Amino acid sequence: MNLTLLPDLLLAGMLIGLAWAVLNSDDLRRGVVLFIAFGLLLAIVWARLLAPDLALAEAAIGAGLSGALLLVALRDGSGGDQRSAKRSTLNRWLIDLFVLVMTCLIGWVLWLTIYAEPVERLAQLANAMLERSGVSNPVTAVLLNYRAYDTLLELVVVLAAVLGVLVVGRERRGYREPGPVFHGLVHWLVPLLIVTAGYLLWVGAHAPGGAFQAGATLAAAGIVLRLAGYDAAGLPDGRLLRWLLVAGTGVFLLLGLGMTVSGGGFLQYPEAWSGSLILVIEVAATASIAAALVLAYRGGRSDGWLLVDEKDKNREISS
Amino acid sequence: MNNPLIWPVAVPLLSALLALLWPRRSTWIGLLGSALSLAAVVLVSRQVIESGAIELALGGWSPGLGIALRADGLSVLMLLMSTLVSMAVAVYASVYFSRSERRSEFWVLWLLLITALHALFLSGDLFNLYVTLELLGLSAVVLACLGGSRESLQAALNYLVLGLLASMAFLIGVALIYAGYGTLDMAALAAAIESGPTAWVALSLMTGGLLIKSALFPLHFWLPPAHSNAPAPVSAVLSALVVKAAVYLILRLWLALFDEVVTQTAALVLGLLGGVAVLWGSWVALQAERLKLMAAYSTVAQVGYLFLFLPLLAALPEGTTRDVALGALVLLALTHGFAKSAFFLAAGVIMQRAGHDRIAELGGTARALPVTAFTLALAGVALIGLPPSGSFLAKWQLLSSVFITGQWIWLPVIAVGTLLAGAYTFRLLGYAFAPGEGVGPSLSVGREEIPAVLLALAATLLLGFWASVVWELVPISAYAGGGG
Repeated sequence: MNLTLLPDLLLAGMLIGLAWAVLNSDDLRRGVVLFIAFGLLLAIVWARLLAPDLALAEAAIGAGLSGALLLVALRDGSGGDQRSAKRSTLNRWLIDLFVLVMTCLIGWVLWLTIYAEPVERLAQLANAMLERSGVSNPVTAVLLNYRAYDTLLELVVVLAAVLGVLVVGRERRGYREPGPVFHGLVHWLVPLLIVTAGYLLWVGAHAPGGAFQAGATLAAAGIVLRLAGYDAAGLPDGRLLRWLLVAGTGVFLLLGLGMTVSGGGFLQYPEAWSGSLILVIEVAATASIAAALVLAYRGGRSDGWLLVDEKDKNREISS
Repeated sequence: MNNPLIWPVAVPLLSALLALLWPRRSTWIGLLGSALSLAAVVLVSRQVIESGAIELALGGWSPGLGIALRADGLSVLMLLMSTLVSMAVAVYASVYFSRSERRSEFWVLWLLLITALHALFLSGDLFNLYVTLELLGLSAVVLACLGGSRESLQAALNYLVLGLLASMAFLIGVALIYAGYGTLDMAALAAAIESGPTAWVALSLMTGGLLIKSALFPLHFWLPPAHSNAPAPVSAVLSALVVKAAVYLILRLWLALFDEVVTQTAALVLGLLGGVAVLWGSWVALQAERLKLMAAYSTVAQVGYLFLFLPLLAALPEGTTRDVALGALVLLALTHGFAKSAFFLAAGVIMQRAGHDRIAELGGTARALPVTAFTLALAGVALIGLPPSGSFLAKWQLLSSVFITGQWIWLPVIAVGTLLAGAYTFRLLGYAFAPGEGVGPSLSVGREEIPAVLLALAATLLLGFWASVVWELVPISAYAGGGG
């Protein structure tokens, strides 16, 4: 057996083992921690598969932010019985069996399509058109140019999810004042995260990076701030926050429509401008994504900022 | 500029963003946005009727590398239904939510839901369809939460988890298709997909996900609590439109993309599930104690009817007879869309006036709210399938397809289902038209009663007399597989 294959087999085996452990964990907290470990391991696997964009996204969003959200949700439901996920043994066996059968089936078909009778896919075409896309990172070209419409709708999905948090959620209590050591760390960490986010955003045009990764990094800065006792987590209030949430989708949509009205197709960038336009869209998207993620971590609204304004509220009370 | 395909998506999306920025004006933005979306859909429909199916390659990239939007007869009919129903419901909602503190959230999510529906009906790309499904599911779940009661939250949570499971199954199917055929463009796939393990597994996964979303028996269990506990305008669009979007996708997959993969047996299985859904849904609706629960179970039954068509369509040879059967299916879906939204709005009016929707205590409705009682009766006519409603014509064609294909097994299902629908409708009308004080003495016709009666009239008269438009539009197809 080829020895260089050994680390990869080890990674794959650990990944499957961790996934199984997450699914079968009785204690929810343990499950969440294992899930975060699973995400980190998956990021390494993506890196091994030469997909650094995915590795970055998985580490930042899959492991980091989802993990933080899950942990904070656990803190909310701190009632004793909600901690453990009890299921009957039969149920668990049935679920395991179902998952196993599906995995084998899907794995078999994937093996057929990828190794047994591979077909021509779109990667070559995407690379060939790269010159005309305005960026040199093929992943960014797909996300912001070839399939920009998908990304626009995905930003809308993020917006809908935040609205859901605001409708259902209630803002959590903030944390206590941090000790001096953590306070010092925050002073170093937050600016560093902000600079990193800016770098990821800028570098996305020609190397792994981009709006989603940058947004997640910026959101991490917000979460650190909140952990340090700043309840607003760096977000503005009221009208400004609304503009921040709308910015990504709004800039994207208006630019697209502008191109339609000026005679091109929807989201058909003029070739000379495409690089700059993509950067503008990514900046706005980064701001919106970061705001949405931090808001989700905060858990909702404190002041009813989205509600009808004060005057209306008074009218409702008097009527 | 002369290709209008992006506007039915862009207009409601832009309105949603504006409503988020100016919460105090959200009602007006919502109404204006709904009206302009209607105009955009009319623009698209006119072009399809005049010059056949149209396509828009987004970003100027060839479909495959880029994403294409496509409109043909089927998508135009679904678009028209969704925009007309949502316009009427928006007028009702402007009264229903006028004093609610959740007003601005409602309008933003409402416009996002319309965006998702329009994007779904226009999409010509499998992965893009997944994104629209996610947007649709998420905005529908949040809207269903707006009631704020404990039951509605619980129901919405179940709805969310099942919806995510369904989307995940759909997404895995999409990934397999891309791995196997190297493209996501549906027109290219319609020509390329052939029978084989990849196609079988992908089709089963995607269909399985969509069956959850369309609430076909036995995967219907999430629907009645979610639909009956949501605010009235939300229930109306969930039952009338959101469920139909999943059925529409199944039609596209089965008739256009996977037409060479689908076997008679597979279609028969779905038909049988549809048959059970018709009988079970109608039977539970007959026993329901609450008006909205009855309407929700009636939706389960009506979705069942749509699946009865699948084995018939699979047995009919491609051509005029099949197109006629497909037109009947679409007509039935449209009629149910209008009738059920009218029904839920009427239930909302009663609930706001009486403070409850217990069927047995609805005595006096006809005297206190004559227009609403009339609405219930008209919607009932369409749900049973009496002339002159669109569903009468549709069921007539359903029966004639049964005779042509010789699949006699569906006859008793249709007969018993129709009788049960008659029974639950007349049980309701019996209470509503009986004397009593259950609803209060008011005699005024409120603005909130008008949209419901218009929707019910559309289901019974408009679709009955103009049904030929449906049969003319359905054969216009953007996909090589024909029909769908």
